[in-house]
Amino acid sequence: MSDTMTGRERLLKALKGEPTDRPSVISACQYATYELMDAVGASWPEAHRDAELMATLSGKGGAEVIGLDAIRAPYCQTIEAEALGAKIKSGGKTHIPSIAEHPYKVDDVPEFPDDFLTRGRVPVAVKAVSLMKEKYGDQVLVMGGIGGPFSIANSLIGITPFLKAMFKTPDKIQPFLEMGYQAALTFGKAYIEAGADAIVIEDMMASLDMISPKNYRQLAQPYEKKLIADLGVPVILHICGKLDKVMLDIADTGCAGISVESAVNIPAAKAAYKEKGIRLPIIGDISPSGVLLNGTPDEIKDAVHDALARGVDIISPGCAAAPSTPLANLKAMVEGAKDA
Amino acid sequence: MAKSAEELNKALADAVVDMDEDLVADLANEVVDNGYDALNAIDQGLAKGMDEAGKLFEEEEYFVPELLMCSDAVNTGIDILKPHIHMEAAGEKHKIVVGVIEGDTHDIGKNLVKVMLSSANFDVIDAGRDVPPAVFVDTAVKEGAQIIMIAALMTTTMDKIGDTINLIKERGLEGKIKVVIGGAPISPAFAKKVGADAYSINANAAVRIAREMLNC
Repeated sequence: MSDTMTGRERLLKALKGEPTDRPSVISACQYATYELMDAVGASWPEAHRDAELMATLSGKGGAEVIGLDAIRAPYCQTIEAEALGAKIKSGGKTHIPSIAEHPYKVDDVPEFPDDFLTRGRVPVAVKAVSLMKEKYGDQVLVMGGIGGPFSIANSLIGITPFLKAMFKTPDKIQPFLEMGYQAALTFGKAYIEAGADAIVIEDMMASLDMISPKNYRQLAQPYEKKLIADLGVPVILHICGKLDKVMLDIADTGCAGISVESAVNIPAAKAAYKEKGIRLPIIGDISPSGVLLNGTPDEIKDAVHDALARGVDIISPGCAAAPSTPLANLKAMVEGAKDA
Repeated sequence: MAKSAEELNKALADAVVDMDEDLVADLANEVVDNGYDALNAIDQGLAKGMDEAGKLFEEEEYFVPELLMCSDAVNTGIDILKPHIHMEAAGEKHKIVVGVIEGDTHDIGKNLVKVMLSSANFDVIDAGRDVPPAVFVDTAVKEGAQIIMIAALMTTTMDKIGDTINLIKERGLEGKIKVVIGGAPISPAFAKKVGADAYSINANAAVRIAREMLNC
């Protein structure tokens, strides 16, 4: 059956829980792959620092080549940290940039810079979103990606010192959480002004793989909730790994959709949501290190059907696509939704 | 009244589980002051405590921050006890290289694996984070390690793990150096695909796998 809705209409309806012509397919996290770079003629590392190339790789790549219902920038989670003083190591052609040196120590008192939006790759990602909106805004949803306050705070001092400070000197991490919130809000607002329809918050460190449910409720969730309220547009919240014990807390953030990996028991979460009258679409959970990377297109279509049967509302890789993922496999996600 | 060595060891284990670094330091000093066997205090005290903490982690009672606090307590205890170990009693330890794959600077899982292996009496060589495949292999060869444990925390960096395993094969070291991989994005299927010798779901499992591989 051929599509009767644009990707944009389909995803907006799916986020509201309304009927669609077929299941919506997005990639909540990054989807640039080597084959996609070759297909559109825009590659890493240049695309990390050039708005035109970023818009081509993410926009043309996502909307035209893969056929996703939403397109997004950027590819990594180091932009906020870089703008706040972190030293970045280039990932070259094959990898995303990583943090070589964290800008702060636990004992420092950070100050949020007034010129945040002009620093590092922040203006690149914002410009890329405006270019994508111009070119593809009537067909697909355009999303700007930011880190969650908890994850940005982690990136400012390093995960291990941060997690230890949570126990030893909890007062000292508050300023970093505040700064994470400021950075995320400022970045998000700039995307929205540039035309973004929605924001994706990647709060990968707020996972129960890293912290306890109690930590999540005290240190991550309140900032996510405040940020989502202050952004004022639909927000997709992505958190990696295990989340079963906090799925209700996540719903309470006010996000428009929660993007999860296969570590989450989706039928159980759906049942809990139903019982409480919560209508929060669950986005996921095609395994980026399993079937999406190693499977055949037919296996991926089966995985899409299986995800839908388990209650997934919007199909997406469970996390960032590995850059060596075959392009045919990303396309197979969309094909799987078409014949569902 | 002075505590017996057994009582002190038990108290050390409990203090590790309770994440009480200061108490561990006091107890370790007491072991030294009483002239008790320092190696025994590590094995029967600190390591037992870390083992218990690892079980609580698998039961989802403890999470990564709790394990980090426990491991800090273990390291504090080891620092105090180590100078008092009679080297001949310690015997030869098996060497294991641990590190985070190139492109990835998330070293928390690697650090946990390191502390679990150290407290299980392995000699751990920490290659650090953002480690290129050649450095993993060179370090293992130089140190005479039989196992390399590689962590990746991002789907975007895990491809390099396969490069490391291929390099081991290219240099004819297959079977001599075994590779154990783990980290959030890694799955048993991925481990199989890239030809790793084992997949470790967490830091606690890494110890079991190492013991099985080395028959110790």
